[in-house]
Amino acid sequence: MIVAEDLVKEFTVHDRRPGLAGSLSTLFSRRHRVVRAVSGVSFAIPEGTKVAYIGSNGAGKSTTIKMLTGIMRPTSGTCRVAGLDPHRERGRNAANIGVVFGQRSQLWWDLPVLDSFRILRRIYEIPDPVYHRNMATYEELLDLGALGTTPVRQLSLGQRMRAEVAASLLHDPAVVFLDEPTIGLDLVLKEAVRELVNRASQQLGTTVMLTSHDIGDITAICDQVLVVDHGTVVHQGTMQELLRSADTRAVLFDHSGAVPPERAIALIEAGLDAVRATAAEGGRIKVEYPAGRWTAQQVMSFLLEHFELTDCFAPEPDLESVLRRIYASPSGSPDELQGSTA
Amino acid sequence: MSAATGLAGLRRYTPFAVGSLQTMLRYRSTFVVNAVTATTAVSLQVFLWRAVYNGDSGSGPGGFDRAGITTYVLLAQVLGLLHANRVDEEVSGEIQRGDIAVSLIRPVSYPLTRFCAGVPVSLVNVALVGGPVVLLYAGLLPLQRPGVGGVLLFTASSLLAMVIAFEVNLLVGLAGFATTNIWGIRIVKDCVVALLAGQVVPISLMPGPLAGAARLLPFAGLVDSPLRLLLGEYRGAGAAAGILAGQAAWTGAMTLLTALAWRRAVRRVEVLGG
Amino acid sequence: MSARGAAATAARYTRLTWYLSGVSLHRLTEYRMDFLIGAGGFLARVGCQLLVVAMVFQQVSVIGGWDYRQVLFLLGFSLLPRGLDRLFTDQMWILARRLVQSGDFYRYLIRPVNPLFTLLSERFLYPDAFGELATGIGITWYAADAMRLRLTPLQLVLAPLLVLCGAVILASIKTLFASLSFWTTNSFPALYAAGQLGDFAGYPLDLYQPSLRWLLTWVLPYAFTAYVPASYLVFGRTGLLPWLPVVTAALAALALTAWHRGVDRYEMTGS
Repeated sequence: MIVAEDLVKEFTVHDRRPGLAGSLSTLFSRRHRVVRAVSGVSFAIPEGTKVAYIGSNGAGKSTTIKMLTGIMRPTSGTCRVAGLDPHRERGRNAANIGVVFGQRSQLWWDLPVLDSFRILRRIYEIPDPVYHRNMATYEELLDLGALGTTPVRQLSLGQRMRAEVAASLLHDPAVVFLDEPTIGLDLVLKEAVRELVNRASQQLGTTVMLTSHDIGDITAICDQVLVVDHGTVVHQGTMQELLRSADTRAVLFDHSGAVPPERAIALIEAGLDAVRATAAEGGRIKVEYPAGRWTAQQVMSFLLEHFELTDCFAPEPDLESVLRRIYASPSGSPDELQGSTA
Repeated sequence: MSAATGLAGLRRYTPFAVGSLQTMLRYRSTFVVNAVTATTAVSLQVFLWRAVYNGDSGSGPGGFDRAGITTYVLLAQVLGLLHANRVDEEVSGEIQRGDIAVSLIRPVSYPLTRFCAGVPVSLVNVALVGGPVVLLYAGLLPLQRPGVGGVLLFTASSLLAMVIAFEVNLLVGLAGFATTNIWGIRIVKDCVVALLAGQVVPISLMPGPLAGAARLLPFAGLVDSPLRLLLGEYRGAGAAAGILAGQAAWTGAMTLLTALAWRRAVRRVEVLGG
Repeated sequence: MSARGAAATAARYTRLTWYLSGVSLHRLTEYRMDFLIGAGGFLARVGCQLLVVAMVFQQVSVIGGWDYRQVLFLLGFSLLPRGLDRLFTDQMWILARRLVQSGDFYRYLIRPVNPLFTLLSERFLYPDAFGELATGIGITWYAADAMRLRLTPLQLVLAPLLVLCGAVILASIKTLFASLSFWTTNSFPALYAAGQLGDFAGYPLDLYQPSLRWLLTWVLPYAFTAYVPASYLVFGRTGLLPWLPVVTAALAALALTAWHRGVDRYEMTGS
């Protein structure tokens, strides 16, 4: 459904120097730099998939999304969405896709939300049953009617964002691109938006491409993950595969006994090498160990030996720590990750 | 407040002037464009009025001869450049965006910062745009040459005019509290003020009632007063002093008005939060 | 595209225009204050222009071969293409000033409708334009009546076409300069300057120096929006008239080329 082959995007950036002297000197000489925001990205996303496009700020996610929606022309490489070239066949592609750019609005600024929807209905030539079905869903899930006759300009960010997401799905697009769709929303509305997207995917087979810094969004909606770092794809696969690639696991335990936490920590770190123990909430102790060196079983047996455990569990590796490691690494090379499919 | 603290206090405002200069340097194309606008505005006015003053010798209506009216029109446009300092745009923009609330937190006087930011714009406009335009026309057409005294009076008068113009712009900018269509208000201001200032037609050429009204308003101090002083359109030193005094009085009155308007604006921001 | 496809597209765009115009008018009622101020601003400007003309003619009776009522006719007539153009293309100012710089232009690229149409539709039936048209008609009518202007049937038929061509010329100039913002991010000063030049199309070209006349006729053809049609209607001069459709078409082609190149080149900045 969404195919990218060796997408490259380079920008020419003018170097500006600070201060008044700097501004004056720019009158005489202009320095350019070429920045390679996207460096040969390739992937193929099948129809009906819900993929999270993850990367730290500046990794080139937004640029890639802009190329996929036809707003930006790639420096080299190709991409196709539903078989169409988004840049050259923009008009036809637009009928197939829905887009939400977080923080930006595509609704009509001076008009109430419902008026924007009525205009969209005309522009996309949405058939009546589809329109009414979607409006009913939005009423139910997002309480759009409550936005009343306030012009979009005067709505809060949270109110606007829910209208934006609804607007992007109104014409039942085959593909929807969501860039930070739940930004500014409270927990209840975040869940409503996720529910909306999931419903569209379930009932219509909509392909979803989501970028979000909210881990909750990613885990609630997506089943596939595309991790990008420094302009290249460093991991593509299911969420499970990514999580399993975490090389640090943890075991949490609680014990009865008069051993103070510092003593316990010292004991654990002395007994198991390459392990880090820290005090966690609720009096528990968290033991982090490299997955290559120890297994959970080994760690737990050590703990059983040395403590009177009242509670012990090994939580699932969480997305946050995996991502943190990826974002923090200077250049993510595919070899470092286990279980990566490139 | 001693002189030293006073001076130190003023230093707090220099970053605004410097920042303004930097912004101007970034948008260099604005100057080329301003030059085009100024040149065309002058051309058209010049041609229009020279068609009226067809006789080459002697003085025509309003006491002007051909060279005199050409000089008047030319310099009136240059003065217009001095008064165009974007303050109205910037202030109304800040009000619309709500940024003005932030300006209240800073330990500087907002109107003064706007003035410091606006002065470089005016001066650079006159120097980089007005200068070449005047030179161009001085080369092409005969102009009236002013006396040294005239130039001195003109300089003093122009400074006062600049302050009045700044205050008019600030008041227009503050209208951003009342409406979102600042554009319309600016157009009204641009035409009406320019007309009443004598920028479009010399006041001495206006029909009686209009000229009378114009002379009563502060806008005459923007163009009419400086040019009259420059070109010697007055009788005796007493009249010259009178013109300057009138300008100074209006400068004072406008400053007061602006201060009051600003006080009200601050109160409004404090109540509504920007 | 087949003839049937073309007809369907035309029908679709007509329907959309109709609908979006209705939306614009509705919006007008919401922002009455803004509208009144805009109308006031416009009236002030025209009022000042009329005052200047009146004051000039207090001193002389003819300038450049045109007398008072003829100049009034010219001034009024110049407002007609301006009003008509403004009715549909006012959004171009926003493009020149803001849309590329802020990155918000992308909105017009993600709709299944022509981006130029979507862009302009934001400000269809801009209310200020009605004021311009009404005032133009009023002044022209008054002046024509005062000089007891008798138009031949041919002139009567051509008059609206002349206004239409004038509007297309103005729209093209606006589009051309606004499209520059795709290259320079903010072309508002350039567009404004070009507009300034147009302000003075309301005066007889005969007043001006030959080089300036040439500029206003062949470089930025404002002369064809008011002066040429007005001299035809008032004096029956047909010298430059045949050039009018040629210039209109050429300028429109140039403007559309600049637009397409610009859109192609557009890159949405910001995250």
